Amino acid sequence: MALVPKLLTGIYGLRKCQMPSAVSCLFLDPRFAGYCSSSLQKPAAAPNQALDRQGQSERALRSPHQREAALDIPSPDEKPEVSFDKAIQDEIKDHFRRLKDEFVNHWIGPEGRPLHEVMLEQAKVVWQFRGKEDLDKWVVTSDKTIGGRSEVFLKMGKNNQSALLYGNLSSEAPLDGDSGRSGYCAMISRVPRGPFERKKSYDWSQFNTLYLRVRGDGRPWMVNLREDTDLIQKHSQMYSYFMFTRGGPYWQEVKIPFSKFFLSNQGRIRDAQFQLLPDKISSIGLTLADKVDGPFFLEIDFIGVFTDPAHTEEFAYENSPALNPRLFR
Amino acid sequence: MSWAQAILLARSLSRGWAGVRGAALKGAPVSQVSPLALRGLHGSAATHSSDSSLVPRPPEPTRRPAKAQAPHEELFGQAPGGAREKASFVQAVQDFTRHNVHRRGHVDFIYLALSKMRQYGVERDLAVYNLLLDIFPKEVFRPRNIIQRIFLHYPRQQECGIAVLEQMENHGVMPNQETEFLLIQIFGRKSYPMLKFLRMRLWFSRFKNVNPFPMPRDLPQDPVDLATLGLRHMEPDLSARVTIYQMPLPSDSTGAPDPTQPHIVGIQSPEQQAALACHSPARPIFVEGPFSLWLRDKCVYYHILRADLLPPEEREVEETPEEWNLYYPMQLDLDYGRSAWDDYTFDIDEVEEGPVFAMCMAGAHDQATLAKWIQGLQETNPALARIPVIFRLAGSTGELLAASPGLEEPPLPPQGQEEESDSLHRQQQGQS
Repeated sequence: MALVPKLLTGIYGLRKCQMPSAVSCLFLDPRFAGYCSSSLQKPAAAPNQALDRQGQSERALRSPHQREAALDIPSPDEKPEVSFDKAIQDEIKDHFRRLKDEFVNHWIGPEGRPLHEVMLEQAKVVWQFRGKEDLDKWVVTSDKTIGGRSEVFLKMGKNNQSALLYGNLSSEAPLDGDSGRSGYCAMISRVPRGPFERKKSYDWSQFNTLYLRVRGDGRPWMVNLREDTDLIQKHSQMYSYFMFTRGGPYWQEVKIPFSKFFLSNQGRIRDAQFQLLPDKISSIGLTLADKVDGPFFLEIDFIGVFTDPAHTEEFAYENSPALNPRLFR
Repeated sequence: MSWAQAILLARSLSRGWAGVRGAALKGAPVSQVSPLALRGLHGSAATHSSDSSLVPRPPEPTRRPAKAQAPHEELFGQAPGGAREKASFVQAVQDFTRHNVHRRGHVDFIYLALSKMRQYGVERDLAVYNLLLDIFPKEVFRPRNIIQRIFLHYPRQQECGIAVLEQMENHGVMPNQETEFLLIQIFGRKSYPMLKFLRMRLWFSRFKNVNPFPMPRDLPQDPVDLATLGLRHMEPDLSARVTIYQMPLPSDSTGAPDPTQPHIVGIQSPEQQAALACHSPARPIFVEGPFSLWLRDKCVYYHILRADLLPPEEREVEETPEEWNLYYPMQLDLDYGRSAWDDYTFDIDEVEEGPVFAMCMAGAHDQATLAKWIQGLQETNPALARIPVIFRLAGSTGELLAASPGLEEPPLPPQGQEEESDSLHRQQQGQS
């Protein structure tokens, strides 16, 4: 059964602090002091949504400076001149631009595309990996947040045509007196944000199957979908299903219908099962926790959703009266 | 406690406290206080015993082992010759039940046995789990009235039962009817272990065949069999043929595999053979590897023989003439059946990579072994003799395994690692 990463604050590696960090210090939490994005490698970060969105906006703001800075190390004399007021102004302008876009797009159609195009669409690419900016939409976690020893990294694959998630899984339990087992690595997509960091969600009600084109090394992964909800009790619930990789040099197409996802709460399968309603999906995650120590890798080409006309099943799991007598009264 | 014991204890306590205070006043170092205090608290040591203490004396602090031994640990150390097997494990469990009719400390014993199961190699044995559940005294922990049913009756024992089932779940062991009867006998039908058992039975049977590429539970120990299994696992074409190019020498008395003759097992499908036959000798083909493949909990490494993708202008689609087969059409164009509404293709260019001609798994990952594989491949693919083969072996662990941050581009063809094969039959072609 899947182990859900605990929502504790992660350990942020203090990167090289430059002027923008002063901005971030004042703008964000003190915990973010010195957190600069690196476009080469995805650091392991805690999946705390509140912290991530601020980091993401800062990164988007500072991206032109930082990308160049990451490629050639600037000398200590020259510092990129960034003024606090200008940064704030740029940020506000960016948010208003997004707000204006949202109003204009509403007239054109859902998400800025004409209605007939959205309604007739039967296959849609949701996440592709063709450039560094595509990697920024993902966060990588491992059990380092609870004190384990697994490492996980995300980088672009060969010829910038795919993303490579690789690392080392270690099921050594952390010696904190509380956890008996450990060993998981996960790649979770960031929640899409609108103007003023409003949470948006994906609407996949037209589609009924999830499609992933991956190339693994034979390890079994788990695909988790989280719903966008305001109820606090539902924050620890997610829909999961297995993704078995074949290994080998050939690309593998994984098709998982939405009817196969089972509902789990806090990492354990729930007794009362309900089908996944794909109209408010907030994020997708790929987890590896197969209790086998060793290095792993997974190459992902793209992730999309499509309608499988041959698939008519609504929900794969029926509730059992032995476990849930109240549902059958 | 009787009055005599109480008086003796009070006397020794006062002596101990006086000893502590005295030592503190004299300024003695802290490390000397505790043995003095202990000696005083629990009566005098063997050197000077003024009064026989009725309170049992613990061993001296210096003689106490660094890690406290778990109770009943000695039951597991009694195996003759230290043989860690199911028989000795079962023997230890039976010793406990035989010498302990009232099952004192059975919860601790069961936790200890659960932690020792992996050492004895019985963690996937259902009979052993049933034996562990058998240790619980029956009919004692079942709730008898409504108050016992409301509150968690015997919580520690229920947690222990759940721990046994949890370890079964972690190792993928499906419980059977005997487990169900035991749980009903021990905890009753409405208990938490019984609930967990129901969940295990339901979800295990639902997810039993969920793997589209099933792997047997017990992997073969022989490396050649393991390589065959791995190659068949990777290759989707069922008509592919597995060829063993080199068997390892029969093991000597030392038992170590001979480094000069590792096993080489290769796989190639008829389509790959045909593609290799039409591959033009002007373009080199590469031996890449080693890449890792995980079979359950074993990691094996494989190499592939592939060519680069042809640039679009040189690609030609081979069309089979219609007269090739008069019985049924070799090519069916069924798209005319779909209307303009239906479009199930994704709006993205998929990653295209060059064709793979063959795969192999070898005991060693050096060029000499792979050259032997290429020579073996030449027997079935005579065209291979004219094509230059370049070995792109990325170190001992493979470029995908080496988690070197900052490694962005793949190794370009003319790099230090690769060498051109120097067989007499191959023509020397210019490097790309």
